Amino acid sequence: MERQIRAVYDALDNGSNKTAIAACQKILKKQPKHELTKTLLALALVRSQKVEEALSHCDEVLAAKPTNDAVLTAMIHVLRGLGRQKDIVSMFEEASKQIPDSEELATQTFLANIRVQNFKAAQQIAGRMHKQFQEDRYIYWHVLSAILQASEPSTSSDMRVLLFKLAHRLITASPTPPYVNADRFHLHLVILRELGLFDEARTLLESEVGKSICAASLACNEVRRDIWRAHGLFEEEGQKAEARITQQNDRNWLEFLSVIDAALLQVESKPEPDEAEKADRSARLTKTRQLFTKLAEDDGLKDRSAALALVELEKRANFYDLSSDPHGLIDVMKHYFELFGDKACCFEDLKPYVSLLEGDDLPQWTAFLQSSIDVSIDNSNVLRKLINAQKLLRYNTPELTLPEESARATQYTQQYLESLIHGSGLPATELQPADDLAILAASSFISIWQLSNDEKHLYNAAALLEFALTKSKQAFQMRLLLVRIYRLLGAPSAALDHYRAMQIKQVQHDTLSHFLISRSSTFSLAASGDLTYHTECIESSQIYISNLQDTGEYIARAFTGEKYSQIPEFILFEDRLEYSLQRDLVKVEDLRIRLTHEPISSDLIDMELIELKFSLDRLHYDNRDFDILANYQPRISASTNDQTLLFGKPEGRGWLTTFLKIYTRAFQQASDLDDTVEEKLLIGDRPKQSSPDAKIPLKDRLHHHLEKDLVELTTDELSFLKYCSTLADWLEPYHDYARPPPAVVLAEAAKLTQAKTGQPLKGVDLPPKNGTAATNGSSKKDEEPPAVVAPPTDLAQFFDDMKARFEAVKAEPSPTMALHVASLTQEACLFFLVESLRFKNPSAVKTNKLGALTQQLKPIRTAALNALRDISASLIKLAETEGTAERRKIFVDGCSPIINSNIDHDFVLNVAKKVTDSRKKVLDGYGKGMARLITTSSK
Amino acid sequence: MSVLRPLHVDDLFRFNNINLDVWTETYDLGFYLQYLATWPDLCYVQAAPSGRLMGYVMGNAGREGTSSDWHGHVTALTIAPEYRRLGLARSLTTLLELVADAVYTGAFVDLFVRCQNQVAIDMYEGMGYSVWRRIREYYGSLGRGREGRDEEDAFDMRKPLSRDPSRHSVRSNGRDVIVDQA
Ligand SMILES: CC(C)(COP(=O)(O)OP(=O)(O)OC[C@H]1O[C@@H](n2cnc3c(N)ncnc32)[C@H](O)[C@@H]1OP(=O)(O)O)[C@@H](O)C(=O)NCCC(=O)NCCS
Repeated sequence: MERQIRAVYDALDNGSNKTAIAACQKILKKQPKHELTKTLLALALVRSQKVEEALSHCDEVLAAKPTNDAVLTAMIHVLRGLGRQKDIVSMFEEASKQIPDSEELATQTFLANIRVQNFKAAQQIAGRMHKQFQEDRYIYWHVLSAILQASEPSTSSDMRVLLFKLAHRLITASPTPPYVNADRFHLHLVILRELGLFDEARTLLESEVGKSICAASLACNEVRRDIWRAHGLFEEEGQKAEARITQQNDRNWLEFLSVIDAALLQVESKPEPDEAEKADRSARLTKTRQLFTKLAEDDGLKDRSAALALVELEKRANFYDLSSDPHGLIDVMKHYFELFGDKACCFEDLKPYVSLLEGDDLPQWTAFLQSSIDVSIDNSNVLRKLINAQKLLRYNTPELTLPEESARATQYTQQYLESLIHGSGLPATELQPADDLAILAASSFISIWQLSNDEKHLYNAAALLEFALTKSKQAFQMRLLLVRIYRLLGAPSAALDHYRAMQIKQVQHDTLSHFLISRSSTFSLAASGDLTYHTECIESSQIYISNLQDTGEYIARAFTGEKYSQIPEFILFEDRLEYSLQRDLVKVEDLRIRLTHEPISSDLIDMELIELKFSLDRLHYDNRDFDILANYQPRISASTNDQTLLFGKPEGRGWLTTFLKIYTRAFQQASDLDDTVEEKLLIGDRPKQSSPDAKIPLKDRLHHHLEKDLVELTTDELSFLKYCSTLADWLEPYHDYARPPPAVVLAEAAKLTQAKTGQPLKGVDLPPKNGTAATNGSSKKDEEPPAVVAPPTDLAQFFDDMKARFEAVKAEPSPTMALHVASLTQEACLFFLVESLRFKNPSAVKTNKLGALTQQLKPIRTAALNALRDISASLIKLAETEGTAERRKIFVDGCSPIINSNIDHDFVLNVAKKVTDSRKKVLDGYGKGMARLITTSSK
Repeated sequence: MSVLRPLHVDDLFRFNNINLDVWTETYDLGFYLQYLATWPDLCYVQAAPSGRLMGYVMGNAGREGTSSDWHGHVTALTIAPEYRRLGLARSLTTLLELVADAVYTGAFVDLFVRCQNQVAIDMYEGMGYSVWRRIREYYGSLGRGREGRDEEDAFDMRKPLSRDPSRHSVRSNGRDVIVDQA
């Protein structure tokens, strides 16, 4: 027996699920009740996607309330595979009840509750565990569970206080002093901070152990600083900080801020000081100034903290009107620039202060920076200084005009080319010091494009960045910008190449895949069989699976390893990925892509519907990284990110909510699954409904679109939305009438399951064999069918309008807009197919006496197909004009600014070829894909 | 001028400016979670006053084979390109050494560096590290590059801490001690 079981484990480890299944079945023939075998069989089945069969074995094992270690362990995997975390909890609870002396089972029960964020239950378990097993650590488990419970949004503020007080009582009563390790100490501090128990905190912190822990633990020191400041001990904190800076050479910026806060503190509390007060203030200011000046001198070029602290100090002095020197700020800024102007981050360091300069300081500042630009670029230090000066000047540009911006673009380009020599010796893995000049030039061209609406300026930006990338292969900033520009230019394959070159991995998918995937159905050629974007969607979604598998695991490890400081952060992190906005944006985009490729069936509709509804009930976290895109635009202008968004529209919660609603409504109409059926058929746990809107009945939510959501839609997306609503409103009564009643749907599902697994569907009673309910998907109705009315004329009109829209935009040089209109028209046609699927079934139409409706559907369908036919032909024709010498010439001619600055003509020609070839490919592919769709859907 | 603070797991959402650099590997979630769940006190970031991340270090502490000596280990140290040469790597390493010494009572801190990464090797030498041995094909999965052996071999570099006053973790012929990867 043991040998046979070992063989099953081996097969499972090797991923040979088939072998494992066969081996289990062999054992079960002889010993049909063997629990472990049954569990392993369920596991092998789950792993082979045979969910229904796995379910019945899994349920049997659960019903037997297992306590065997091997069974429990295997069951964790089975249940996780099925998404049934809650069953893991009850399984361990049952086991623990049967063997109350088992510390291991109690631990597992505790951790399983943490896993499903049932902190209250976890807290009670930990409390019992401490009594029973007398381990100190369980006190901390108890304490942390109480804090986690207190931090849940659903906990009232009174309850929160109570829970923290409980935590405090527990921790102070704990037999060992709490500071045997930094994480226990940290937890104690967090409680004292929350409850404002300052004296106790102080005693703790000023003990020898407390001091030594804070010296080596940044995390504890962080809480300590908070506590000190929250108690208004700025003065004392300032002295501590000063000591750290002067005696221990600490250069943490937070210490400098503490010194500044201490110096200027009472200013806020007493807005109208008397003379003595005033004198005191200015003395403090002077003293701090002296301290920083001395430090800055000592540190020289080694560290820039003190020099920048002087700038920060002047800023605050100005703000509170303390400074006697009206030019104090600009003087220290200049000084800072002189010292650190050749560090790449100087621009960023000074940026927050630039907007505070006013009056004659402004021209002075400009002239000062100008002197670092009108220089001969002799070495890379001069170059970096020049770049910083350019960025600072540009940032403060008072007004953007075409001629000035063009002059700047030329200057940046020329300076870029001139300074390349200073990086010529660097290895290929290093960035070039001149890189940012190329990005500045590109930014300038982007602004000119925005001002002039002439696309050729984007050609210049693209070609220059391509050139710069040949010099600096790792310049990801340029690639990101190129991804944006190529999408604007309707050259998606060129964008894709750069995106892929960055080798985005793991968690970066969540933060960066928006660059590629946002509204990518516009460029997807899935209809003609090219699944590139679908594949990218799948790949970028792997991280969410890893999150579910790994993060929970490490939360458990942090408990056993007593790293309490990490646990609340891990839990939030897991949620942020699980409920990531980008995750659902990708899901919707992928659905839009797949609909053009997969046959529209009721299976697809049912599956997607469940997911769509889950997404609608979620409160999303937006983890997307937009700051990564370098922004060197003037502060009066939109950021580079905003300027280069596809269609000039952001895509966020509003867009997502709107599209989720559109899809949910159509799929819900087309589906036979109503809520009661779904409840019965759902296998895994229902996800948390974290959206505040989840309380509003779905039906009401689907009918309403909020203004704040709709601003994220393009005009054409708005028309599409209107079309979808009109279509759904019109068909709603017929769907509601023709949809078979839940009992019939369930009976059908049960029949299918039984046929597949030989087991009845759990919780569903089949109606008696010769009952009244027919099982052919319909049933006798008491009421008459709703009278069939003609469709609103808007529906057919929509397709005519979109055709006209297409005609209007197709001559634009970038095909992006034409593809946008084309893809939405196609999507509208697919929606029509989804909405009319039910009425394609002749027997359903007959039973429901809806024959008249099929007649009414025809003209819309014809209008839809006609529009698609025209657009498809037109796209294919447009494709013929792309990729030609003529088009390349237009591109190259447009690039005269950079060619005149000495970028090689042939190099530009190659970029032109890349862009126009890419346009050709996408136009042709899209047109042909559409043609294919027309053929399949006219059947 | 930067904020030195613990690495938090949600920094993974914001470390792109550091990790898009070629020398910096982005690992799977488990890697970061394991470090934070085990050695949170050996993982720190430097952040700009704006909150933007500038660089980070991740380290661990453990025992070498059968020896009874604890030591600290620098697993990843990286600074975003625009923040280099500001002393950030130095200050991150210094803190890690302090904690390895005071909290983990380590005898030394060690790290692996590609034999070809001259910038990093010089930097570590400047901080008191020296080559203890050379590990063959440590970065082997990357294949033999243009620079041949140096690209795939690693130096194991060590720096003695206060518990190693007689400097057992330093040897002058370290570069000639070549071992295969365990
Ligand atoms: C290696 C790296 C971490 C250095 O970071 P850094 O913050 O720029 O380093 P520091 O400013 O603290 O430099 C400390 C000392 O190292 C030396 N150093 C660092 N970078 C150097 C360079 N490019 N050229 C010459 N010396 C250099 C200097 O002696 C410097 O002291 P100094 O500026 O007072 O002369 C950074 O370049 C990096 O992230 N590289 C990519 C990742 C990597 O290679 N990591 C190491 C692999 S284990």
